[in-house]
Amino acid sequence: MADQSHGDGGIAGHLQYWTLKIDESNPFMQIHLDTMLVTIVVAAGMFIFALWLKGRLVEGAPSGAQNFMESVVGFIDQTVKDNFPVHNPLIAPLAFTVFCFIALINTIDILPAFLLGNIAHLFGVEHFRPVPTNDLNLPAAMAVSVFALVLYYEFKLKPVHFCKELVMEPFTSLVPGFLKPIVMPINLILKLVEEVAKPLSLSFRLFGNMFAGEVIFLLIAFLLLGGGAVSMAAGFFVGLAWTAFHLFIGLLQAFIFMILTVVYLSIAHQPVEH
Amino acid sequence: MSLDLTFIGQIVVFLTLVFLMKKYLYGPMAELMEARSNKIAQGLAAADAGNEAKAKAEVEIAEQLNEARSKAAEIIAAAEKRSAELNEESVIKARTEAQQIVDSARDEVNAELNRARQTLRGEVADIAMIAAEQVVEAELDAKRHAKLVEGIVSSGFGNA
Repeated sequence: MADQSHGDGGIAGHLQYWTLKIDESNPFMQIHLDTMLVTIVVAAGMFIFALWLKGRLVEGAPSGAQNFMESVVGFIDQTVKDNFPVHNPLIAPLAFTVFCFIALINTIDILPAFLLGNIAHLFGVEHFRPVPTNDLNLPAAMAVSVFALVLYYEFKLKPVHFCKELVMEPFTSLVPGFLKPIVMPINLILKLVEEVAKPLSLSFRLFGNMFAGEVIFLLIAFLLLGGGAVSMAAGFFVGLAWTAFHLFIGLLQAFIFMILTVVYLSIAHQPVEH
Repeated sequence: MSLDLTFIGQIVVFLTLVFLMKKYLYGPMAELMEARSNKIAQGLAAADAGNEAKAKAEVEIAEQLNEARSKAAEIIAAAEKRSAELNEESVIKARTEAQQIVDSARDEVNAELNRARQTLRGEVADIAMIAAEQVVEAELDAKRHAKLVEGIVSSGFGNA
């Protein structure tokens, strides 16, 4: 059976990380080496590409890689300009990095499901998860970074308004004066939930989509590829179809993450209305 | 599926990548594209200005051409007028000169005629005298013959 040929534990076995445990008793004190390795490789690849491209940028009509990157940069620049009331030189590069990084990492998912895992097995690594966006740590890290930036700009650009909003919205104006101190904590709780929901939804959306995608790849592999010739053929075509769809989902999720990053930061930059 | 130290590592990787991308990829590219679009905008503006200048110059040229044309027409008209005048003047002058030539010729002819007439008259008188002498020599009655000769002269040459 498939689970015998692809290691122990079936699908669940393939959803284990290559983990370095620093403190066995504390579940936080461990590090997913596969996630770190792949993200660092992708980031280094992007950096090397950036250096390579920077050396051959031409001011005239662009071609090849420069042309492609210019269309990406132009697209993201336009998105940021459409959403942003003011100019902030950090936002567009941030959105660009978010989009390219997530898109590239998601695209790793279209490699055959066991390929990188099996390569890792050759080096004696028992578990290897090739797609870091399937690891909640990466989406959460990005979402929390974005959220921290949002909070930074909220406090920097309109500190009084933001603090006031935390305790005064949404109920204070609806109740008589003597009830105001009572509804303030309720407001604060609701507002905190609203704010915390942003990074949570941002990270879980990406993580959920990519994780589900990988599970479906594994399901196709386990259910279809393990059987006879007909089942193998069916598995191949279903897998191909899912690959195409998943590639699209990967790009879509990268775009959604990018656009939500821009929108959240843009809300933080909105001028105060009186 | 829980958060662990990887989360911290990923924040570091992500923020580093944002910094590197901003510095080495997005920054230079955005700068380049900005510079290029500025250049294109400048080029288009220059082209517009050039077109405007061209249109203006064309209008100016047309104006100058019209002016030159009307001036040329004026000059031609003046020249034609002047040439007609000159023509007329020369015709009048020629006519006057011809008249003068004719007049002087006529005067000369008249003078010549008179002179010839005088000479002839003298010669006739001489001839007459010679004839008279001969008649006197031949005839004794000179008075009568002289009268005769005179009569002949006046009737024969008087109208000459």
